[in-house]
Amino acid sequence: MSERVFALFVRLYPAAFRRKYQQEALQLYRDRLRDERGIARRVRLYRDLVLDVVRGAPQAWRNSYSEKSAATVAGDLTGLPGFHLLDREPLGARSVVAGCLFSVSALVGFGLVMRLPAPVCAARASGTMSPIEAVVERLNRAVSAPKSDVPSAERTAVDGEKTQAQAPANAADHAERIPERLLSATEKNQVIQGVAENLTAHYFDRQKAEAAVSRLRELEKQGAYAGIADGRMLAEQLSADVRSVTGDPHLNVAYSRNPIPNAAPGRPAPSALIQYRTVMLEQNCSLEKVEILPRNIGYLKFNSFPDAGVCGANLRKALAQIDGASAVIFDLRDNTGGFPETVEEVAAPLFDRAVQWYNPRANPSSTMLSAVSGSKLANKPVYILTSSRTLSGAEQFTYNLKMLKRATVIGETTGGGGHVGAFHRVDEHFGIGVPETKITNPYGGPDWDVVGIEPDVKVKAADALDAAEKIAGSGTGRK
Amino acid sequence: MPKRKFDPLPSAAFQILLSLADEDLHGYGIMRQVEQQTNGRMRLGPGTLYSSIQGLLEEGLIEEVDRKTETDAERRRYYRLSSSGRKLARTEAERLADLLRVARAKKILRGGYV
Repeated sequence: MSERVFALFVRLYPAAFRRKYQQEALQLYRDRLRDERGIARRVRLYRDLVLDVVRGAPQAWRNSYSEKSAATVAGDLTGLPGFHLLDREPLGARSVVAGCLFSVSALVGFGLVMRLPAPVCAARASGTMSPIEAVVERLNRAVSAPKSDVPSAERTAVDGEKTQAQAPANAADHAERIPERLLSATEKNQVIQGVAENLTAHYFDRQKAEAAVSRLRELEKQGAYAGIADGRMLAEQLSADVRSVTGDPHLNVAYSRNPIPNAAPGRPAPSALIQYRTVMLEQNCSLEKVEILPRNIGYLKFNSFPDAGVCGANLRKALAQIDGASAVIFDLRDNTGGFPETVEEVAAPLFDRAVQWYNPRANPSSTMLSAVSGSKLANKPVYILTSSRTLSGAEQFTYNLKMLKRATVIGETTGGGGHVGAFHRVDEHFGIGVPETKITNPYGGPDWDVVGIEPDVKVKAADALDAAEKIAGSGTGRK
Repeated sequence: MPKRKFDPLPSAAFQILLSLADEDLHGYGIMRQVEQQTNGRMRLGPGTLYSSIQGLLEEGLIEEVDRKTETDAERRRYYRLSSSGRKLARTEAERLADLLRVARAKKILRGGYV
C-alpha cells in the first residue's frame, strides 16, 4: 500500500483531525513499514490499517477538536461583545435536518412575501386607484418621508400651478395602516357640493359642467349615494356620474385616506419647497447615471424632470457631459415625470430648429419650442428607453420626440399617466381633477393618456439598454 | 455540555493511559507499548490511536509534551498522563480487579496468577 493510498484513507477523517494528526499518522505508518517486514507482517499491517479506518474514523468524528484558546471568552481585548465557539462538535443528524427544514421554510416564506404585490401597484393593476389618488398618496409619502420617493414631491405631477406638496405631520402613517373611515350623510353632501362647485367654477365647458352638476344633485335626491359609506366608492361613483354626462374621461373625483395637503391655491408652501430642494440636492436631482458607453454612446439615466430652478445646473452639466458622444440614450425607464418646463429644457437642445411642442396641461396645448443655438446634441441620434413605469412628464418628452421623429423609443409601452388637469381640494379626503382647457392634440387622435406610448422597438424594459446599444452601434437611429 | 466520552472507558483508551504510566511517549511509542503490554493482541492503527489520543486530550486525561527526540530530526508530539488520567486509569484498574474477584469467586477463573 503506497502512502498515497494511505493518504486517501486519512481523508475519511474530519478535517480538524487531519490538520492535527495527518503528519503523525503518516509517520506512524512509515515507522510500521520500516519495522514490519516480511509478507506475513505486511499483510497484517494492511489488515490493521483497513480495520483501523472502520474503527477509528467514527471515533474521530465524535471528537470535538475544540481549540483551547477559543474557550477563553473573557479575554476580548476590544471590549466588543461577540460570539465565541466554545466547543466545536461535529453536526448531529438532527441539527442537519432542522437546518434544512428551517432553510426551506425561510425560503418559502420569503417567496410568499415577495409574491405579495405592493399596495400601490396592486391598486394600479386593479384599476381602483385613479391618477390623482396615486399622486396624492405619493405626495403624502414623499413629504412625510422625503428620501423615499423623489419625483412624487413635484407639484406638477398633477398640475404645475395648482397642487402643493405640503402635508400635515400625521401623513407619515402609511395609507395601509389607516383604517377605512365611514362617511356620514353630511360629509357626503359636502363632498357632492364641493365637486359641483369646482365643476361650475373650473370646467372649460360651462354647459356640460351645469348638466353634470344638475345630474349629481338629481342622483343625490334620488338617494343614489345613500348606500355608499366608503370614500373610495363614493369617489368612483361620482367620477362615473360626472363622466357619463360630460363624456370627458379626464374629470376625476379622487379619494385619499391620507389627508390631502391644504395650501393657498397657486402658491406652493415654502416649507414644501425647501424640503423639495433638500431632497433633490441630496439625491443628485434624480440623475442616476451619466456616462459614455462603449462606441461613444452617451447615456443619461434620470428618474424625474426636477424643478429647473433647483436642478437646472445639474441637468445642463449632465447634458454637457454627453454632448460629445455620437449618439445619446435617455433612460426614462424609472422616470415618473416632473416639471413641464424642465421637460422642454431637456428637449430643446436636441433640435436645430424651432418645433411645435405639445403639452396637454398648458393652454394652449401646443407651443413652439425654440432651438438652442450651437447645441452639439442637435444632430445626434436619440434613443429613449421606456418601461411601464415611465409616466407623465417623461411620457410628454417621449411622445413629442417620437411624434417629431426625433427619437427611437425602445422598451415597453409607457404607463399612460393621465392629464388630470388642475387638482382642486374638496375637503380633507376628497379632490377633483378638472381639465380647464380643451386638449387639442396637434398630432391628431389620442395621445398617451391612459393607453401609454407604444415603443418603436418593443423589448422588455430590462433588455432595453442592450437593444439600444446595439441599434445605436449600428447607426440606424433617428437624427 | 459534551457528554463524557470515557464512561465506560474503551479498552484502547485504557491501554493508552496504561502505556503512559511509566514514561512520556509519542504516537508510535504508544502503539508499540500497547502492543507489548497486550502481548501483541492490540495493535492500534493510526486512526484509532490518534482519535483516542484526541479524545483523551479533550477530556484532560493526557497532555501534550513538546519536545524533540534525540534521534529523529522531525518534531513529534509526546504525550504525558495527567493526574486525572492517572486517577481514571486507577479507577478502571480497580473496577477490573473487582471484576476479577467476582470472576474468581464464581470460579470462572482458575489459579491465582492474576
